[in-house]
Amino acid sequence: MATQSSEVQAALSRRYEAGFVTDIESLSLPPGLDEDTIRALSAIKEEPEWMTEWRLSAYRHWLTMRQPDWAHVRLAPIDFQAISYYSAPKNKPKSLDEVDPKLLETYEKLGVPLHERAKLAGVAVDAVFDSVSVATTAREQLAKVGVIFCSMSEAIREHGELVRQYLGSVVPQGDNFFAALNSAVFSDGSFVFIPKGVRCPMELSTYFRINAGHTGQFERTLIIAEEDAVVSYLEGCTAPMRDDNQLHAAVVELVALERASIKYSTVQNWYPGDENGKGGIYNFVTKRGECRGDDSRITWTQVETGSAITWKYPSCVLRGDRSVGEFHSVALTHHYQQADTGTKMIHVGRDTKSKIVAKGISAGRSQNSYRGLVKVEKGAVNARNHTRCDSILIGKKCGSHTYPYVEVKNPTAIVEHEATTSKISDDQLFYCRSRGIGEEDAVSMIVDGFCKQVFRELPMEFAVEAKKLLEVSLEGAIG
Amino acid sequence: MLKIENLHARIAGTEILKGLSLEVNAGEVHALMGPNGAGKSTLGNVLSGRPGYEVTEGTVTFDGANLLGMEPEERAAAGMFLAFQYPVEIPGVNNTYFLRAALNAQRKARGEDELDSMQFLKLVRGKVKEMGMPAELLNRAVNEGFSGGEKKRNEVFQMALLQPRLAILDETDSGLDIDALKQVADGVNALRSPERAFLVITHYQRLLDYIVPDFVHVLDGGRIVESGEARLALELEAHGYAWVRDRTPAGAGA
Amino acid sequence: MNTAAVVPFVESMRSAAAALRLPGSGLAWLDATRREAMQAFVAHGLPATRNELWKYTTVRGLAQRQYAPRDDKAANRPVDEALFPPEAMDGPRAVFVNGVFRSDLSRLDRLPDGVGLQSLSSALDAEPEPLRFLLGAPKDAGDDGFTLLNRALWADGVVLRVAAGVHVRGPLHVVHVGVAADAATAWHLRSLIELGDDARLAIVEHHVGEAAAGHLANLVCNIKLHEQAHLDWVGIQRAGADATLLRCTDIQLHDDATLDFHALELGGKLARHEIRVDLAGARSRFESRGAFVLHQRQHADTELLVTHRGRDTFSHASWRGVADDRARGVVHGRILVLPGADGADGGFYNKNLLLSPSAEIDTRPALEIYADEVRANHGATVGQLDENVLFYLRSRGIPLEMARRILVRAFCAVTLERIEPPSLREHCLALLVEQLREAST
Repeated sequence: MATQSSEVQAALSRRYEAGFVTDIESLSLPPGLDEDTIRALSAIKEEPEWMTEWRLSAYRHWLTMRQPDWAHVRLAPIDFQAISYYSAPKNKPKSLDEVDPKLLETYEKLGVPLHERAKLAGVAVDAVFDSVSVATTAREQLAKVGVIFCSMSEAIREHGELVRQYLGSVVPQGDNFFAALNSAVFSDGSFVFIPKGVRCPMELSTYFRINAGHTGQFERTLIIAEEDAVVSYLEGCTAPMRDDNQLHAAVVELVALERASIKYSTVQNWYPGDENGKGGIYNFVTKRGECRGDDSRITWTQVETGSAITWKYPSCVLRGDRSVGEFHSVALTHHYQQADTGTKMIHVGRDTKSKIVAKGISAGRSQNSYRGLVKVEKGAVNARNHTRCDSILIGKKCGSHTYPYVEVKNPTAIVEHEATTSKISDDQLFYCRSRGIGEEDAVSMIVDGFCKQVFRELPMEFAVEAKKLLEVSLEGAIG
Repeated sequence: MLKIENLHARIAGTEILKGLSLEVNAGEVHALMGPNGAGKSTLGNVLSGRPGYEVTEGTVTFDGANLLGMEPEERAAAGMFLAFQYPVEIPGVNNTYFLRAALNAQRKARGEDELDSMQFLKLVRGKVKEMGMPAELLNRAVNEGFSGGEKKRNEVFQMALLQPRLAILDETDSGLDIDALKQVADGVNALRSPERAFLVITHYQRLLDYIVPDFVHVLDGGRIVESGEARLALELEAHGYAWVRDRTPAGAGA
Repeated sequence: MNTAAVVPFVESMRSAAAALRLPGSGLAWLDATRREAMQAFVAHGLPATRNELWKYTTVRGLAQRQYAPRDDKAANRPVDEALFPPEAMDGPRAVFVNGVFRSDLSRLDRLPDGVGLQSLSSALDAEPEPLRFLLGAPKDAGDDGFTLLNRALWADGVVLRVAAGVHVRGPLHVVHVGVAADAATAWHLRSLIELGDDARLAIVEHHVGEAAAGHLANLVCNIKLHEQAHLDWVGIQRAGADATLLRCTDIQLHDDATLDFHALELGGKLARHEIRVDLAGARSRFESRGAFVLHQRQHADTELLVTHRGRDTFSHASWRGVADDRARGVVHGRILVLPGADGADGGFYNKNLLLSPSAEIDTRPALEIYADEVRANHGATVGQLDENVLFYLRSRGIPLEMARRILVRAFCAVTLERIEPPSLREHCLALLVEQLREAST
């Protein structure tokens, strides 16, 4: 092993390719948080009264809560008064043609297909820059079939009744500390509504970008699939390199009515901090879907390579009979990153099924935890779950942890959990190298194979991106 | 002994048996043949009371009693035995223990004295020898680690021990090589007697070279479409099942 | 002390501390330790469910109860022979009745050379200083309310030492009997077992009791296995139906030491066993198998916490559980591999059967890995008996209830099949069958 490592000592140190700052004039609220901040935020966004009140009640609830400290995480204290809760590019565009060219350039650099490329790729894109949504493409085409895909701010103005009916119905205001904060101060996000019987004609996609310093990003996403509707939604995230930690506390709510299907895929590549653990995004996210109708299905797929600290448990409440929840995850940590991620599958309805596949890769001095709950309620007759968690360790100073919780209250349920942890296989490495493959390449090859099962769940262009991301993230991991 | 009249049965909402009638008397050996999906195994499962099968119409009596109203263990105690197409493995349950529990439960249900462990061991060891089973069988868990052929032989061995009055062999020949097939047939033939009846369910004629039936029935589409003597099986072998379909006008049945 | 937030249980323990004259009182270091531990207990209180190791076991009901500090008649109470495990009738044994050591029921004569077995109180009387290391610490990072309480209030226990190189033939039995007393009583016992280099020993710990004896037993046991020592441990728990039994067994293994551990949990109303295994020495090995069968409103919680500290250490655990009626079974199996523990190989496997709509199983395997040259696996399942197998048995004439019993017995028996000697294994199987028969009536 020692000789192996010395051969690759000179390996490239890892580069964060999305780490540039875009020089754009922006309008920001001064740092600080009180009821006036929230009123100001709500006013800038021209929100109706009920929305302002909703935010305020969430804020008041938040004041009574304490920041959680239970996870397996080392965390610098967060000064919530030092964060700016609103930052927007100054010249707000009315259409894509008016979007600041610098901004477009930014998305270009990130590889986000905003323009014609989007159409070619068959993807409709909503891009959120700091706090606001700057462009949503392919709207007309979607509108023809009745699909609403717009920024959350716009949805609140234009589709108030829908938002009011569903907002907070899956993740209540007081669900947890960061969800309460988000409910009070969320700035923007995406809104998707697929009406009854409609199969969304293209992939929907949102790119999130934190650009300004000292801002938090609190986006809120709400996806509603009515009876028999089908939608696939992709989310990508990046941020510039900064020395201080920035907070990202998003909430995502999914509602699937009878026979509806929602597929939600994430490639999370927030700035992870440098190789000494300086800077990086705190990614504290609440994602939850409710299979409200019978025979509905929600699938979460995530590739997590970014952020200094991640707490994230995309979950499914399987309320409808025969509803299905799935969670496919790859979490890769390197340097000083800490990821605590997993899922909750709550079986309420009869004949509900869930499947969990989680792959963890830890390198450097990082800590990577899978934390998951499978809960079978009393009425969940014939519930089925299968969980498989595999972790590999690359290097001696990282940690890999698996904390599943299984709670079963119905005697017809079958729940199975299995997990393995081991270091990356010397035999496999040697085999690849004996065939002439360099060690770094061999590692990416093995890691890619290890993750294949999850990548398969991603739409094609994302799978390619995810694979590349993993390679970049692993640079210098052997040593 | 066994009287099936107009039996309709379904599983998971799909009707498999659609008006099957059949009568089996003591001392007779009936072979039930038919293409895949005809309902052969369904009949075996319905007769032995496997959960999940729903009888929607018709009657089945066993010695005049309503068979369909009985629990699986009551049917066994009444003298019915199903040799499974796929015998299950039961890790941790020792064969001797299992067989004694079964035999004594049946004896108890029939009002006979239970055998103590000495009596039972004597009986079971004798049977092992008689049937040419390996002696270590008794110390192993039920069917655990058995090959396909061993499992089928073990079913016949259980039958010899439990001495049923009606034995249903559900594709006991499937997956057996010629030697194993002969062993199974020898076991069955040794048990033939005027008090005992057999219903041999099979896809192939091959087994009937060794267990010569008194009657052969062809099952297709959930009912018996042709009945005859042993010769019928040979004709089937020569012409295939399509031959029966051609000869039988749709809707006709036994 | 203000009366505003008085917890009856805590109060009854405080008054017990004041009323009891405990062994070793007058030894300044021990008095100080007990006092400090009591203060820590009062400050700490009973474990809450936010403590991860108590997540699924609540003691809220217990907090409202009060216990007598001792059973004054324990030294003379007759014990029904039927309660006594037949296995323990001929071997050497130490017997405690309601927490009091009974020399009349014990048999400590004719111990093999090199084996020292006595009660903790008499060991302390004879020579306190060697016990100071064990008993002189008022608290430890791993403590919870009950272990603190034990540090403060232990009244006796077992001290068992096997000299280096001594191989003891046949098991030693430690029997804890709970019988009805004038009031529900709490007792706290502390034990020490130490095997010298290359010593070998087998211990069987029994918990038996009468149904109506609603006592609380709080037992802490420290086991040290020196280099190449080997211990076989079998715990057979069939405490009385109203008993609360809280055990914490802390085991440390030095280089090449090995521990074979078996547990059969059948009794008690609330039975919790925290088993902490520290594989400190290189190449030390720990194998464990256990089963619980619960019915009515029984609650059993096994917390198996294995730490791989030395190099090339091995642990394997295979536990099974059955919950019927309104019972709740809790299993937590954690494998922690510390930095530098290269070559660690750890596995934890837990299978459960849930037999009733009102029963519950909570299982929680966990891997915490800080080294890379490791193999760590776990698996957990909750399910029910296989319908096909059940049908097979019924088709052979075995009635449904009996078929269920046969399959449940087979499911659990897997964990007992390596118990030695065979007579002890048979005894465990017989208890299992008896429990299943009770469960189905």
